[in-house]
Amino acid sequence: MLVAFLTFWEVAARLAHNIGIATFSDTMVAAWDLMFGNGRIWEAMLNSNAALVLGFAISAVTAVPLGLAAGRSRILDRALSPYTAILLAIPVAPLVPIAITAFGLSLAARVSIVILFAVIFIYVNTRAGVRSVDRRLVEMAHAFGASERTIWTKVVIPSAVPAMFAGLRIGLGRALTGMVAVELLLVATGVGKLLLEYRDRLQPAYVFATVLFVIAEALLLLELARFIERKVAPWND
Amino acid sequence: MTDVTAASTETQPPAPWPDDASLAAASHGGPMIELRGVSKEFLGDRSSTTTTHALDNISLTVNEHEFITVIGPSGCGKTTLLRIVAGLIPYDSGQVLVKGKPVTGPGPDRAVVFQSFALLPWATVLENVAFGLETRGIPRAEREEQARVLIKTVGLAGFESRLPRHLSGGMQQRVGLARALAVNPDILLMDEPFGAIDEQTRRIMQEELLRIWGYRRKTVLFVTHSMEEAVLLADRVILMSPRPGRVHEIIDVPLPRPRGRETERTREFTDIKELLWDKLRVMQTV
Amino acid sequence: MAAAAPQPTASAAPFDPAPAPRRPRRSLARRLPVEGLSLLAGSLLWEIAGRTMDLPWLPPLSMILADLVTLLGQESVRANILASLQALVIGFAISLVFGLVVGALMGRFLSVEAALDIYVNALLVAPTIILIPVFFAIFGLGDGTRLSVVVVYAVFVIIINTMTAIKTVDPAMVEMARAFGASEAFIIRKVMIPASMPLVMAGVRLGLGRAVKGMITGEMLVTFVGLGALAARFGSQFDMSKVFAVSLIVLILAAVTNWVAQLVDDRLTRWAD
Repeated sequence: MLVAFLTFWEVAARLAHNIGIATFSDTMVAAWDLMFGNGRIWEAMLNSNAALVLGFAISAVTAVPLGLAAGRSRILDRALSPYTAILLAIPVAPLVPIAITAFGLSLAARVSIVILFAVIFIYVNTRAGVRSVDRRLVEMAHAFGASERTIWTKVVIPSAVPAMFAGLRIGLGRALTGMVAVELLLVATGVGKLLLEYRDRLQPAYVFATVLFVIAEALLLLELARFIERKVAPWND
Repeated sequence: MTDVTAASTETQPPAPWPDDASLAAASHGGPMIELRGVSKEFLGDRSSTTTTHALDNISLTVNEHEFITVIGPSGCGKTTLLRIVAGLIPYDSGQVLVKGKPVTGPGPDRAVVFQSFALLPWATVLENVAFGLETRGIPRAEREEQARVLIKTVGLAGFESRLPRHLSGGMQQRVGLARALAVNPDILLMDEPFGAIDEQTRRIMQEELLRIWGYRRKTVLFVTHSMEEAVLLADRVILMSPRPGRVHEIIDVPLPRPRGRETERTREFTDIKELLWDKLRVMQTV
Repeated sequence: MAAAAPQPTASAAPFDPAPAPRRPRRSLARRLPVEGLSLLAGSLLWEIAGRTMDLPWLPPLSMILADLVTLLGQESVRANILASLQALVIGFAISLVFGLVVGALMGRFLSVEAALDIYVNALLVAPTIILIPVFFAIFGLGDGTRLSVVVVYAVFVIIINTMTAIKTVDPAMVEMARAFGASEAFIIRKVMIPASMPLVMAGVRLGLGRAVKGMITGEMLVTFVGLGALAARFGSQFDMSKVFAVSLIVLILAAVTNWVAQLVDDRLTRWAD
């Protein structure tokens, strides 16, 4: 199947005669060069991922407790709901210039955009996880005289874990988008810089190869998240 | 999966049947559960104009070591009654006493077995059985030791580290029963515990329950919608009528114990069951 | 409180009386319009912070709203909104047709699913934005780039949901229809389509939200027209108040399209609530 797709890519690209489309073989050559020839992909990836890691970590550390709290407290939940709706609906891209104005062309600006992309999905899912706890399990814990704290640690949080992880996975994907978005839009650095540079130099094979690297990273990270989830919440297959 | 049952019943010693004298000696001498004119209304969800009269002026006394079953058409409030005794929901008026003290919430003297099993899906059989002890702050080693004993009692030895979803319905409810017994309550409150279990397994579970109950003869309040089950298990059957939920009649079941499948073949059993059906079908709206 | 309503049956025993007869009332918190108050408080805070802190990136809310009104009054801005809407509508229409057809085929035929599944999933989870330079390289500054960005943002979630919807139609219902001698076409029309509609519509609504995001992002990155280009221009002029105002327009646009989709959804899946 993969072979069929790659053949299709190769043939279509050759027939298209479009200066923007690279063939599969050229893309692979470029990928090799990026890795072992000029080796630029590593530095670019490292640079980009600094913002990703920081932004995602901050998002998770704020959104998970906030989601748990909003799942617990009806009034906090309602107070946050208009902002939740806005953050879910608003495209973040136009806000990139604002982050740049606030933080300059710095890592902080990139991190803040990554947070804007990722944080809301982690929050929304964590909150939903708490909300969807099986009332019968809570009642059972009450019947056995469990304290509020025990109910929280032994029943509510474990049952929110799967939804929380789903949120973290979505958030991770969004964080990657944020990482690339800010680099393409304003702070030309990392893989974004690589992409724009090769595009302007009309080297489509290198554009394609860089894209493939980012997609590969996304898939790897998601697989990693799934792996961790299976370790943490093995009851939820 | 159900093979476990056969194996376990063989390895278990026959229940030592305590004579009435020794039970009386261990008794604290008063009724275990007392309900005096208990009423309960549920408010409608949005518009408070619709209220359901779930229970109306219920009075009832359950003595120590008594096995009481509660039966009635759906909507008669039998589960509400059990939840009130468990201290899970407040009541509007009247008085509920357990061992002479008013019920203000759940307490260590009562344990509940739920129709939905209510097992923690992320916890192993051992952890689930130990849950009630854990809430009481008993150290891990001690609570796991106690839990293992109860796991053996309900015939689940060897399944300690399984997750609930790897167990059949009958086995899951064995875990639920072990969890309730593990806290060594004076009273077992059972809310249609076998209602979600298939008929064959259900019959085995009934025999198992009778066998286990035989060791200590804890006070049991058992809600059911099966007439056979109600009669087979109980010393007395509380027959409730719906809208509003009331105690319609209390029927004595003077069948000899220990009981088993052979009990169901006796004339006396059939007579009581038919009597129950005659009374139930009058209030049954289909 | 206990003194005000003594229990008729309460004895002199030193225990707590039974839970006092309770008449659950709507609590104060439930009756307060917390959402509105919270939004109001946030807006006030923004306004005050904007006025006192005088940060270039945090203009007072009133200024943003004033700019919003000004912008909406300008002919060129309205033309840009129309251009954006046009890209959105055409791009989303393409996504809808393509997404529904491919999704349905993947749901119906295992071979199609096996062939396409990994690409659809990879493109759904990968950062779509990375493809924009690729489209730009292929299509240049034309409408092709704008439309293809909208499509890749919107289409995959529609495909996935449609496929899942078709696959999860209760086989018992299809079997029932067969048992009554229904033809394959009849089954599709009367069973499969209505049964899969809630999930399909959920995908369509998600896709619409993503289409708006794709539209604005694509315009910011590669074109000189539309709301995105407007935002990019104000951004490069460091006119943050206008950037916020354009973001508000986009937000309103997103809210309106979502509302329309909701109306359609409600009509098509009335049975499902």
